[in-house]
Amino acid sequence: MWSDILEFFRGMGFMQMGADFIGAGWQQLAMLFISFFLLYLAIKKQYEPLLLLPIAFGMLLTNLPGANMFHSELWSAFLDPSSPAYHSYGAILKEGGLLDVLYIGVKAGVYPCLIFIGVGAMTDFGPLIANPKSLLLGAAAQIGIFITFLCANAMGFTEAQAGAIGIIGGADGPTSIFLTSKLAPELLGPIAIAAYSYMALVPVIQPPIMRLLTTKEERAIKMKQLRAVSKTEKIIFPIMVTTIVALILPDAAPLIGCLMLGNLMKECGVVDRLSKTAQNELMNIVVIFLGLSVGATATGASFLNLKTLMILGMGIVAFGMGSGGGVLLAKLMNVFSKEKINPLIGSAGVSAVPMAARVSQQVGQEENPSNFLLMHAMGPNVAGVIGSAVAAGILLTMLG
Amino acid sequence: MTMVLLAINWPHVLFVTILGFALVLVLLVVLIYVLKLFGLIMHPHVTVDKPQEVHPVVGTPHEEEHDNRITLTGDATAAIAMALHLYYNGIHDEEPTHVTIKKVERKYSPWNSKIYGMNNLHRN
Repeated sequence: MWSDILEFFRGMGFMQMGADFIGAGWQQLAMLFISFFLLYLAIKKQYEPLLLLPIAFGMLLTNLPGANMFHSELWSAFLDPSSPAYHSYGAILKEGGLLDVLYIGVKAGVYPCLIFIGVGAMTDFGPLIANPKSLLLGAAAQIGIFITFLCANAMGFTEAQAGAIGIIGGADGPTSIFLTSKLAPELLGPIAIAAYSYMALVPVIQPPIMRLLTTKEERAIKMKQLRAVSKTEKIIFPIMVTTIVALILPDAAPLIGCLMLGNLMKECGVVDRLSKTAQNELMNIVVIFLGLSVGATATGASFLNLKTLMILGMGIVAFGMGSGGGVLLAKLMNVFSKEKINPLIGSAGVSAVPMAARVSQQVGQEENPSNFLLMHAMGPNVAGVIGSAVAAGILLTMLG
Repeated sequence: MTMVLLAINWPHVLFVTILGFALVLVLLVVLIYVLKLFGLIMHPHVTVDKPQEVHPVVGTPHEEEHDNRITLTGDATAAIAMALHLYYNGIHDEEPTHVTIKKVERKYSPWNSKIYGMNNLHRN
């Protein structure tokens, strides 16, 4: 009987953490405190709570000693060509815990695509169709991705890792997770947390950059009202974009295809039930699975190192450069264009829908309260979603 | 640090950076032209012939007509639209001028009948 009691005490998480405190114990404890802090940010400060809360809770679960919900060693074996469990989902299902099973959806690139169906079903591409030039701003804002790719290489990351770090500049969570799970799965935890943290901090990061790069007069520019877009145009748009992009860049097809499928379901008006499911039930279920399993990858050993700090640092550089790139191109377009555009809408070219567009509207109204930039900024904003998915496809083609 | 920088395959890294960004730009520029073409097909612009230029002569009716032309900004249009909306919402329906009060016929109901009332005592 005493041996059973002793065994019970030995099995307790506290004992396991204490037994190896110098090795993994302190890391687990530190990760638990980080997860508590992220939960605080999600609940009290409401920083992207829909994603940050499940991510933080996944981080909490994975760092509980003895819970055995996620096994990073199984996933290392999954990636090791010399291991018998190489690319074997069967081994994961047989020996893995709950979070290992959920993580299969990330590893196979399923969750980001399903989320993109929901995003598409919630997105109105009308402002982009009405003003196709917005695509240029969406493209310019992707410069942050490529400059950060260059910086990450210089800092000693491999090319594949640098590509995954650079994509943070796209400010698009699902795209970041999709590309990282393909190029550098070992960095998934820090990259996902950096991407979602900076997306939540859009209203803090972007306004100083926008003010720095524009004059008062530029910020007060009023733009011409957008033309009305017919239903037929909105229906043909997703079909056309999918066909063109997938034919030019097949690696971008999963993301763009799913985004446009969701949008087509919304716009065609004949599958309302599917559209509502994609916007609500499907999206919410996948967000829970994705958040938990991404959080689960943030184990002490993979998270508490200098690389994570470097990733967080480069992420903010990527994001800032993307925002600045959009604003600067908008200014350049004003030099050549007869119809002036407000450069503030350029910063919305990083995807972060619709937060970045709202920031453009707010900063614009500070200069001119009668100025309504929201719909104008939605054009570059949704163009940014397309742009970051295209950039991810290009990086996957070149580095994958 | 120098060793790290030397170990990097810079030509390939630069190639990926430049070509990658250029491809994003090119692809989205292609989409711009496709969308513009698409817009032209779906929403052809109606071109109205410009009126022939008339040399203004002081005091002629043409000049008066020119001066009376009003240019409305988006804000002014919105304000007028709002005012009209409020005005039309505030108007009542046109009512007939007849007095519509009619004599109400009280039909028999046991609930208000004096016959069956409690106070209606039989008088012998």
